[in-house]
Amino acid sequence: MSNFTRSAQQWATFARSWFLIDARLQPPGKIASMCSVRLQGKHKPIYHALSDCGDHVVVINTKHIAFSGNKWEQKVYSSHTGYPGGFKQVTATQLHHKDPKAIVKLAVYGMLPKNLHRRTMMQRLHIFPDDELPDDIRANLTEELPQPRAIPRKLSEYTQEEIDAFPRLWTPLVWFRFFSGLRVLLMKTKTHK
Amino acid sequence: MVCVCYHSNADGLGHDRILFLVPCRTGLAVATFCQKINMASGYILNRGALTLGIHCQRVCRNVSLSQVREKKRWMKTYTFLMAKKLKLEGPPPPTPRSQQPHWDYHAEVQAFGTRLHENFSQELLKTAFINPCYLKAEQQKRQELGVDSETTALVLKDNIQLSEKGASFTQSFINDWSRANFPNVPTDGVESIKRYLTSTSVVTSVARNLGIEDLTMSAECPVPDDVLCSTFMAVIGALQESSGAERAGFFLRDFLITQLIGKDLFELWTVVNPMGLLVEELTKRNIPLPEPRLIRSAGASTVLPLYIVGLYSDKKLLAQGPGETLIAAEEEAAYVALRKLYGYTENRRPFDFSSQQQQQHQQPIIQSISN
Repeated sequence: MSNFTRSAQQWATFARSWFLIDARLQPPGKIASMCSVRLQGKHKPIYHALSDCGDHVVVINTKHIAFSGNKWEQKVYSSHTGYPGGFKQVTATQLHHKDPKAIVKLAVYGMLPKNLHRRTMMQRLHIFPDDELPDDIRANLTEELPQPRAIPRKLSEYTQEEIDAFPRLWTPLVWFRFFSGLRVLLMKTKTHK
Repeated sequence: MVCVCYHSNADGLGHDRILFLVPCRTGLAVATFCQKINMASGYILNRGALTLGIHCQRVCRNVSLSQVREKKRWMKTYTFLMAKKLKLEGPPPPTPRSQQPHWDYHAEVQAFGTRLHENFSQELLKTAFINPCYLKAEQQKRQELGVDSETTALVLKDNIQLSEKGASFTQSFINDWSRANFPNVPTDGVESIKRYLTSTSVVTSVARNLGIEDLTMSAECPVPDDVLCSTFMAVIGALQESSGAERAGFFLRDFLITQLIGKDLFELWTVVNPMGLLVEELTKRNIPLPEPRLIRSAGASTVLPLYIVGLYSDKKLLAQGPGETLIAAEEEAAYVALRKLYGYTENRRPFDFSSQQQQQHQQPIIQSISN
């Protein structure tokens, strides 16, 4: 690779790449850690904290991010307006309804180093709530990064043959009959009493 | 008119107080002569200053003068004057090393050969350093002095012959060496490598670093580049005459050809149309013509775009090159392909600069290991 002319080599070394990340059904923290590495340029061999060598990251489908556990209800985003009584607290669900880009943005912002470069790096982060990109950004893209989490298939996405071929330890239908029969029996005994 | 001067030689006790009563004209002279004497106006203030220290004097309210032994107050003006002079006139012209002290020409010439581990014949080496311009200037100087030309005739030979001999030897040696080391590079490329190695800038820098400049006999003091160049060639000629062509070849290889290290082929050889040259080369070798394809790009709609273009020939990737525009990237890819064809890649085997004795020594060691 390094048979380039010096000037071309320099140009290629310091050019900024544009990465695309699809956030559909992905945990925002994992998306954010991938973004923060690229935004700082830590994936490059020429990385130095003082040299501004970060890349651009485009995150799409942030409307469809997936929190695990009960984070949608439990996770609280706090802010203070600066006025007395201006302390605001909203849950992740409320924030996501208000702005579908906010959760990913805040996660990335929290993962970047707390210095003067942080705002510059955030400017290289482009977040889109769905999968529609403006043409100028689409033209810039270099490569798409693999998603950090494999998306599980929904039951509706399985064909009937696949469902039938799935190995079973017990037949749910029989158990259902058994339990329903049992319940009927109990009801009867109750009414008799 | 009488001026009253007050001497404050000042141990504070008042014993040494002297009152001068002198005419006004001489009063000034006394004041400049003896700096410890103040003008009469400072008399009252001076009495208060006496307690400060014996050398401290107040000229007026805010200005105090101190006179300490070995504190050179003239130095400031002097250095300022010198700096101003330097700024106006520029630095003085350099003097040749031979006109500076501790210079023994014979010893230096001998040391030159010893330093480089070469066996020069001393007469030849001394001849190699004598340039025709020096001879001309020296003769003119003697004529101007009015010395009899017969009694003080210059019996020195100039280095023209040696220089010509050395130059031709250098040309042929570099030609042979680069042909042997770059068998795939075409004649134009070899010519440009040769031109670079024998260019005035490279040869003068090598000659300066070897210390030839100080030994060169030249009319002008900072030795002109062309004179230095011809002197270097003359040294090569002298070496060839005194120790043979092989030693001279090693000398050239060690000092001149090493200047190629870290140089790119197309830094030395300006190719206007690399794609045309590549097509020519490929047709010569019966390889299908290259087809440029955009492999990847970044930031195409920004002001700092990057395109990487690959050259495919017969569906095989010949080379790829980055560039700011598609055209520049294609050109770069053509350059890379040419480097690969010519075997002048970055990861090629480094030049073998080890001396022959070392090579001979190494062979038995390798054999013993294999045994």
